[in-house]
Amino acid sequence: MLRRLLTASLVIVGMLGLLGPSQAADPVKIGFSISKTGLFAPAGPSQLNAYLVWQKMVNDKGGLDIGGKGRRKVEFVQYDDKSDPAQAVKIYEKLITSDKVDLVMAPWGTQHHFAIAPVVERHKFPLIGNTAASVALRKVKPGYLWFTTPMMPDNLAKEMTAMLKSRGVKSVAIMYNLLQFASENIQFLKPALAKAGIKVVFEAKYPPDIKDMTGMLTKVKGKNPDAVLVHSYPGDSILYMNQAREVGINAKTQYVMVGPAIGFFRGMFKSNLDGIVTMAAWTPGLKNTTGSKEFYNAYKKMFKGHEPDYLDSVEVFVSAQILEQAIAKAGLDREKIRQAVNSMTFDTIYGKIKFNGVQNSITPAGFAQIQKGKIEVVWPKQRATSSVVDKGAWAK
Amino acid sequence: MNNSLRLIGTAAVIVILASLSGLASEYMLGIGFTLFMYIALAQSWIILSGMTGYISLGHVVFFGSGAYVFVLLWGLVPVWLGVAISGLVVGIGALMIGYPVLRVRGPYFVILSFGLAELVKNLVLINEARMYMSLRPVFGAPPLAQLYIAMLVLAVVATALTYWIRRSRFGAGLRSIREDEWAAETIGVPASRLKLIAFALSGLIPAMVGAIFIMRSGIFQPGDAFNPIVSFTIVTMAIIGGSDDAAGPLLGVAFLVILQELLWANWPEIYMIILGVLLIGFVLFAPGGILGWCSKNLSRSKKNAA
Amino acid sequence: MDILFSPQLLAAALITGVLYALISLGLNLIYGTMRLLNVAHGDLVMIGSYIAFMAFSLFNVGPLISMFGAAIICGGLGWLAYRSVFQNLLSNSEILARLEENSLLLFFGISVVVQNLVILFFTADRQGYEYLSAIVEIGDVRLTGARLAVLIVGSVVSIAAVLYLRFSLFGLAINALIQNRDASAIVGINVDRVQMFSLVIGFGITGLAGALISVLEPITPVMGFPYTMSAFVVIILGGLGNLWGGFLAGLLLGFLEIYGVAVTGPEWRSVLVYGIFIGILIFRPQGLLGRGRVAR
Repeated sequence: MLRRLLTASLVIVGMLGLLGPSQAADPVKIGFSISKTGLFAPAGPSQLNAYLVWQKMVNDKGGLDIGGKGRRKVEFVQYDDKSDPAQAVKIYEKLITSDKVDLVMAPWGTQHHFAIAPVVERHKFPLIGNTAASVALRKVKPGYLWFTTPMMPDNLAKEMTAMLKSRGVKSVAIMYNLLQFASENIQFLKPALAKAGIKVVFEAKYPPDIKDMTGMLTKVKGKNPDAVLVHSYPGDSILYMNQAREVGINAKTQYVMVGPAIGFFRGMFKSNLDGIVTMAAWTPGLKNTTGSKEFYNAYKKMFKGHEPDYLDSVEVFVSAQILEQAIAKAGLDREKIRQAVNSMTFDTIYGKIKFNGVQNSITPAGFAQIQKGKIEVVWPKQRATSSVVDKGAWAK
Repeated sequence: MNNSLRLIGTAAVIVILASLSGLASEYMLGIGFTLFMYIALAQSWIILSGMTGYISLGHVVFFGSGAYVFVLLWGLVPVWLGVAISGLVVGIGALMIGYPVLRVRGPYFVILSFGLAELVKNLVLINEARMYMSLRPVFGAPPLAQLYIAMLVLAVVATALTYWIRRSRFGAGLRSIREDEWAAETIGVPASRLKLIAFALSGLIPAMVGAIFIMRSGIFQPGDAFNPIVSFTIVTMAIIGGSDDAAGPLLGVAFLVILQELLWANWPEIYMIILGVLLIGFVLFAPGGILGWCSKNLSRSKKNAA
Repeated sequence: MDILFSPQLLAAALITGVLYALISLGLNLIYGTMRLLNVAHGDLVMIGSYIAFMAFSLFNVGPLISMFGAAIICGGLGWLAYRSVFQNLLSNSEILARLEENSLLLFFGISVVVQNLVILFFTADRQGYEYLSAIVEIGDVRLTGARLAVLIVGSVVSIAAVLYLRFSLFGLAINALIQNRDASAIVGINVDRVQMFSLVIGFGITGLAGALISVLEPITPVMGFPYTMSAFVVIILGGLGNLWGGFLAGLLLGFLEIYGVAVTGPEWRSVLVYGIFIGILIFRPQGLLGRGRVAR
């Protein structure tokens, strides 16, 4: 009886403590949903890890600079959205109305950004997007959402065509996954290629659950194009990497959209990846950027030597840097943060970023190439850390 | 309790739930929305699978198709008319494909229904990619309070429908198919026709649910709209309820939805594991579902009392 | 259309078909003997893949060796599952009354638990490793060493298993159980033992398949579900409980997929697979090689 009484009183005291007056150095509560389970779960860690690295880097400095009035540590409130946009909506409603977080950060993927747009709009919570790319995002009402990505399909098409032209490519084979981002790229790529006089000698699309590409790639080989452009996601990128070698595709330019920028993928293919071009605009040695080396080292240290995803993790970190700098200028007043994001120029690991409407107006879409096992930014030329080279024969 | 009292009670509950749309917090309305959505889905599933024993593991096909029809109509017709049309189109579609599909029985039908959902998903995917529309945002959807009411209406209609069918001649026919289809046919039950009607009825409401759902998620994407996990969730809830009557899904859905809400909000790291363990526990300790467990244990305690 | 006569395409079809056959074998065995709808089947593939990945990254042991470990571990899981759950389950009349529903629910729960435990320990991050990535040339056919290994091991294991289950005494007992449960108990077959072994063998072969697959795609906690469903499609096509039919259906599906896609275009892959599946079922509701009336 006594023991139970003691426990009860301890619990009550504990709860009172929670209710008690908040201290000045209370952490800043930042909420987000993460796709821990479900369809997009495998992509989730590239985002969550970057958030965690940023949190650690900020907290090691003593916390977020709140408008020049002292520092406060960052505390995350995160829930699993099961890769379900409707669940993400519910989570942001809970974060804002029930958990009373100070700020929110982005969920994973284009569809979730669309889903939560009305929520942040209604509650006037500024949100710097990441891992979302679609021209349809520009139709989102400007106000409380911004999109960091330079990888908008129309910009990618423009840069891709320019790169192919600079390499004297006359004919290309195009393959693409039926999913949104890949097929949207083709929508813009085909007219751009036609305008530049580059001939599409082969075109094929495939469903996300494709199991074999032998037939398709045999046909590509028969056309012998100068460049092979595969708009693929990690699973189908692996199919391409294995079966293009089997079939013997030897085009001097081979583009594999998503995969080569992710660590596990490079672990699977190692030297065979040399010369493959992929979608990425960052590398730790990128010039005129802020914090690239620090981010890279902190990430490797935190995740036992694993490298960040050069595409998603980078973009996520950029969005966090933007938020950090906006808070340093405006404090935690969300309306002031909104104005700061609209007007400031930010220094990020992508270099300088400024928003025009909802979109990052400075960083260009770009490509990287794996050269001697390292990822080098090769396009556009003004940002390149190395120049594009011909893909040689397959290593093995 | 006599029938009119019961009716008044039910009506009162519905009115209270409806009036919450103006009172409850956004977050609570969101939970209510999910609750009603799965009640509507699970009740519809019971009409086909609970009563006839044709277990559908592809019920998302109706949900997704409804969402697709709706998103094609988005901006062209008034919102609620669009919802109604989606239900009708999918219901008619179900009538058209129902006959050959329902020739297949038992576990063969289970997987066939799954395959059907995948087939339709891929057709939609190809069609959308043709137009470079693999992702369609739905801008300017009605506010949550309205969607909440709409979903409540569907849940009530679906529950009433199941309740009524269960007590009708039609329902008796359906259940005779479950017990022994051949015997039923021999004594003159028009099995094919009854199954077909059940199939169409069971697709009508999920299609409208799908249409309303994408106004909540703000986006149509074939992979989300035809996500097999929706089918699995429906089946899970209906089985846990443990009855072919309207009360079963009501209990099963309420139990799982509310539990899930409590779990993800409080144990975001391990809530799925707890949920999985609970499902396993259900089979082991309450294989008759909630209702089965209740009737067994209640009758036992009655016996003890006597 | 000279591509249709390319030996490379034939090899691709064989690999796809053999994988379908191998993956569906265990599911067929378990459904056949116990009438359990194992929707956690693909998660055994996933476990097998993680075992191979761990063996490679910790001990530098390739999947051609670790697949035996995966088979043993997954077989052991089968034994554990039988002794702890299914033995009682299959003698509980209340559960048997709704066996399909209950086994679906049970395995769905298991699947959720297994996937999320893996996420808890490994995160959902994709994993992968390089193994036998060099190209091997056999006549006009060029395959990565890993894909060749999948082809050889997959064919050997699935054919051996089908033959064993068809001709050995134990296999005959399993077949008897598949055909008629009650009668096999009367003629003196130890139903309990046969059930346990089918679960062990079924899980074991699936784990082995998972180890082989670990070199072909990203290893993730959610990789299993598509395999669950394609395995179901295969065994339904072949006729539930018909091991030989399942093997043939696996090969057939692989060939239809690869050649169908070569003729129509890859965008139609999944429409073809599911369309053919549904089409066949509508005309033969008991599967290609299924027996007359479907037992329930």
